[in-house]
Amino acid sequence: MLKYVIQRLLFTVVVIFGVSILVFVITHLIGDPVKAMLPLQATDAQRAQLAHQLGLDKPIWEQLTEFLGNMIRLDFGVSWWQQVSCLSIVLSKIPTTLVLVGASFVIAIIIAFPMGIIAAYKPDSLLDRILTTASLIGICLPSFWVALMLVLFFAVKLGWFYTSGYGTIRHLVLPAVTLAVVPAGHIAQIVRFSMAEQLNAQYAVTARAKGVKESAVLLKHALKNIMTAVLTIGGMDLAMYLAGEAAAVEVVFGWPGFGSLVVDTISRQDFPLLQAEIFVVAVIICLINLIVDLLYAYFDPRITY
Amino acid sequence: MMMKRFLTVLLVCMLMFTLVLSGCGARKEEPKPAPAPAPAPAKVRDTVIIALQGEPTTLDPQFPDDGNMRAVTDNVFERLLEFDGKTLQPKPGLATDIKKINDTTWELTIRDGVKFHNGDSFTAEDAVFSIKRIIDPAYKSQQVSYFSTIKDAKVVAPNKIQVATDGFDALFPKRMARLDMVSKKYVEANKDKVNTQPVGTGPYKVIAWNRGVDIQATAFDGYWGKKPAIKNVKYRFIQEGSTRLAALKAGEIDFAVNMLPEYMKDIPNVKMETGAETYWIRFNQLRGPMVKKEMRLAANYAIDRKALAEALFLGAASPAQGQMGKEGYFGYSSKVKTYPYDKEKAKELLKKAGYNGEVIELVSERGRWLKDGEVTEAVAAMLTDAGFNVKIKFLSWQEWLDTLFTQAKAPALQFSSNGNGFFDIGLMYNTIVHSKGSQSVMKNPEMDKKIEAARKEPDPAKRQAMYDELALYFYDDPFAIPLLTLKDIYGLAKDLEWTPRQDSMITVYEMSFKS
Repeated sequence: MLKYVIQRLLFTVVVIFGVSILVFVITHLIGDPVKAMLPLQATDAQRAQLAHQLGLDKPIWEQLTEFLGNMIRLDFGVSWWQQVSCLSIVLSKIPTTLVLVGASFVIAIIIAFPMGIIAAYKPDSLLDRILTTASLIGICLPSFWVALMLVLFFAVKLGWFYTSGYGTIRHLVLPAVTLAVVPAGHIAQIVRFSMAEQLNAQYAVTARAKGVKESAVLLKHALKNIMTAVLTIGGMDLAMYLAGEAAAVEVVFGWPGFGSLVVDTISRQDFPLLQAEIFVVAVIICLINLIVDLLYAYFDPRITY
Repeated sequence: MMMKRFLTVLLVCMLMFTLVLSGCGARKEEPKPAPAPAPAPAKVRDTVIIALQGEPTTLDPQFPDDGNMRAVTDNVFERLLEFDGKTLQPKPGLATDIKKINDTTWELTIRDGVKFHNGDSFTAEDAVFSIKRIIDPAYKSQQVSYFSTIKDAKVVAPNKIQVATDGFDALFPKRMARLDMVSKKYVEANKDKVNTQPVGTGPYKVIAWNRGVDIQATAFDGYWGKKPAIKNVKYRFIQEGSTRLAALKAGEIDFAVNMLPEYMKDIPNVKMETGAETYWIRFNQLRGPMVKKEMRLAANYAIDRKALAEALFLGAASPAQGQMGKEGYFGYSSKVKTYPYDKEKAKELLKKAGYNGEVIELVSERGRWLKDGEVTEAVAAMLTDAGFNVKIKFLSWQEWLDTLFTQAKAPALQFSSNGNGFFDIGLMYNTIVHSKGSQSVMKNPEMDKKIEAARKEPDPAKRQAMYDELALYFYDDPFAIPLLTLKDIYGLAKDLEWTPRQDSMITVYEMSFKS
């Protein structure tokens, strides 16, 4: 097991290295950041001066070796836009996004498990169809729209929560609920279908034949067996959210998290900051994948590392 | 059982995790605004809450070129000269007087009795320090392009400074109206605090900056000028326009920047003023179909600007007056009017030009400016209607910039928007019309000379006459289709009073609550 973890961590280093080189090359190919940074009225001489200041007039391979050398020391340099260490900017935004994404997953799990289990309990019943349709709708709704509707109703009309901002539970509820919709839909569906499958499995039939109550079959035997599937889907959603998928919702609710930062960074063409962001995202995704894989072994003893 | 317990534990752990995290993230202080729509009416309101589009990255007013920061620092810092909000002319600020000593030297008299927020007096040394700091290459100010003509500054008497420029600079007083004055002593002694705890001379002083949440300021007791009517300001950061509108309607904020025309009917109290951006389409006069004068005139007559302003912007834009800029800009000519919409004349001119239906490429982009894509499509439809064979090409922002700045890649027509930091039409001629300009795709040596002469002319009346002549010349031989000048739209709470300014400054010290 320890050997496996070390192997995976080494692999993570390779992945992050590869991703960083790729991003470096792509960002340097898409265009000249100097043109985007200065006002349209700036003169050619001013642009050349800024390019020199930022070291963009050096050959690209020279910039790349310099970048990789610094990256090994976890030094991503100073953000062009904020003039502060890139890594510190990124790390300061991560907890804010963790709060939001964490809360949304708690909500998603609280909604999704009962929904999926109830639907699976009586497959093809009316209740099953209603719940399955509801989860499908949840997956399909654009989060941007959900956000605006929630704001209009619960913040503007009823005044229960704040429309936007950060700091208290009343700021947190609406964005967390918005973000919970899609993973709740995903998880409910996977619970419903894997659960239905488990309930028809040999061991479930045997258990029933032994006189085990249906609820015990569901919660004691079947639930553990569907967890690997749930982890796969949930882990993917979680990774995507932490990697900036939550951006649209963060922007709508004025939530000062990682997603909004990525949106800003791209529009400002701040290369060093973008590099640091992608580095951190790559680390997070690799770690989540690792944790998910380790949890597989917990839920399914047949899996050993 | 095991499973159930595991799930319960997992859930409880996650719940606690989020609670702990939200506890860490949350500031100790609860935001004051009541979410309930109506605050108690009897109380006198002493705090205005302003929603900006984003959080400033620093409050060092000399460093970035950032509108979000300016919305705050314009109330915290002052300049030697200030723009008049109505006429856009520079007027005395922290300097009581400005005079030209010779073509490369200006002298400014520093106002007496001005105090910084920390109690120190504002002196001539501070003024010289502020000027030298912003042009220092080592400081790398992003605003340095506004001050590129300034060479040096020195104290010549206890209350007098002289500034040296590179040749005569007609824009010098306007440059001074953009250069924020900082304290030499404070900046030198507190390098680590300059970004977050600004010390200026302005009517408001910053008292707290809760990252990600808000910036709070309060009226400065020792202010030398008129006391502001509102005691406290709180700035919040809401990127999304529809959320700013929702917050305004819910009573969480009192002032929202950058509202969309569509929101106007929902805003309790709308304020509008012509802003700094003019939409325009550039002609490529170096090659291709638009080289011919008749073609360029035809394109100008083919556009129904009024329809664009009404249909797309619901009146929150006005037709451009046959030139690029707005009334109040120096050099703006009252001698030219908007090109009339005359489709028949356009068709006639096309015939005269011998246009054979050759494809004319119109390059544009989407999402940078309000409804840029829609305007491009409407313009293309109007041109097609008049007989042009227009093909639109939408590019990514980077590619679009590339075609704007690279002469060899310039298309026949390119949509753009022109701002003007100094409210001076000369800047536009320098960058767009003069053959050496960074966005220029034309060559007119005779007019190049006139543009250079106007740039160097010290007498304002003569300079204005020269720009009038240029405006008239280019009205008949256009280098662009000037389209629309956009209006800034602000959303205000019902009881907030404020008049928007021509320079788009958000002046809290000019706001008040109706009692």
